[in-house]
Amino acid sequence: MRPAESRPDFNTLDEVLGEVRAHADRLDETAGFPLEALESLRKGGWLGLLAPIRYGGLGGRVQDVLTVAQRLAREDLSVGLIFVMHSQQLAALAHCASGPAARDLLAHVVGNRQYVASVTTAPTTGSNLLTADSDLTVDNDRLVIDRVAPIVTGVEHADGFLIATRAPQALSETEVCMVYADRQDLDVAVTGDWQPLGMRACRSPGARLRGSVPRTHVLAERQAHRRLITQLFAPMAHLSWSACWLGAAAGAFERTVRYLRSRDGRSRHDVTGELLLSRLGRVRGRLEMVNAHLHHAADVFERYPDQLGSAPAQSMFNALKVTAAEQCSAAVDELVDIVGLKAGYFRGSPVQLERSVRDLRAASLTYSNDRLLVATGRLALLDREVRLA
Amino acid sequence: MLDESFMGLLRPHLRFVGATGLDDGSRLRDLGLDSMHAVELLFAIEDAYGLEIPDDLLNDETFETAGSLWEVVSGLCEAAGRSAP
Repeated sequence: MRPAESRPDFNTLDEVLGEVRAHADRLDETAGFPLEALESLRKGGWLGLLAPIRYGGLGGRVQDVLTVAQRLAREDLSVGLIFVMHSQQLAALAHCASGPAARDLLAHVVGNRQYVASVTTAPTTGSNLLTADSDLTVDNDRLVIDRVAPIVTGVEHADGFLIATRAPQALSETEVCMVYADRQDLDVAVTGDWQPLGMRACRSPGARLRGSVPRTHVLAERQAHRRLITQLFAPMAHLSWSACWLGAAAGAFERTVRYLRSRDGRSRHDVTGELLLSRLGRVRGRLEMVNAHLHHAADVFERYPDQLGSAPAQSMFNALKVTAAEQCSAAVDELVDIVGLKAGYFRGSPVQLERSVRDLRAASLTYSNDRLLVATGRLALLDREVRLA
Repeated sequence: MLDESFMGLLRPHLRFVGATGLDDGSRLRDLGLDSMHAVELLFAIEDAYGLEIPDDLLNDETFETAGSLWEVVSGLCEAAGRSAP
């Protein structure tokens, strides 16, 4: 078999899932970063899932990232999101690896199995990737970074960072670029604490990053950056976050059904009663809706890469994110009603819905549904024919 | 060959079983096993034999006849190292 045809071996993911499961409760308690899971992902080569095999990656597709994301998120949503955010950075590096310097950079990151964090939030521009308020100063053949970010997932443990900043010699906040920096080229100062309601293992405190990188570490700037965001970064973020939320909700549903099927569950609930069955049916429907949208969006992403910036495609990806956030959250909320106070609301219950509710509460806030709906509404005005992607 | 205790578990879920009796070829749906009775029968079997029938065996084929269901149950008992009661 030629290397290009080999597929990632998903059976080896079981070891990673065991690590995730073993530490999920403790990390939720302490709001600590899932180092054991990260090391297990690194050891299994999963950090290079999206990189071509010739660079030392697994040669996977976006569909593979979604599969891994769902399985991780069934155990711990935070780990799933950490994995997909890293995969997104890697996809950007691979997408931009056209020249020799960019190819060397990709080989360096993949070959060393580096964990790459993203620095995309900013104090004034939020997580809008098309504007930036931080300069990238030219100093001979290097670029000087001084970047403050209110939220950087994994900042304490990342080996490298993909940083959104103003392009070299930019005159306005809309001249943006994405630049890669190795941790060793930066002074990383963590600012503030991380004590959220849920997603607690997705440790994302603020940080100030200062240092310099070679000029060749700019992935894409100005128009090319805009294309990178609209055609790769944004749709991939919506796909992969949605996959994580679906995984988390499916995991909660699985635990609920297992509990209801058990002797204990059947002794406490009218498992064959119509109220409970219709509620289970509705929750299943919510998951099916998200799963169908996710598959369709992944198919569009892979088959029509040149059209992802169009209004119909952007609307469809935005709708995926909003729908997945709403439906997965509603699904878990409804599961609490099904199993009741003792099994559904208390920490330490085997059904573990309490953590799922807290974790999924973040879904509508992550790249805020409100903001995305406004953007989709604006796109609707540009698409009088209502072309559905 | 169906054993008596297994047939005892089946009977309450088969409204039309009447006096004709049960054998391996008895078609469970024809004898009144609807989808809700199938769920209740499943719980009764799992409790009685202390086993879990895997999801991929919970299909129409398994619930086709008394014999097909018994084959799955006795197979799982054997796999668990127990003789079917």
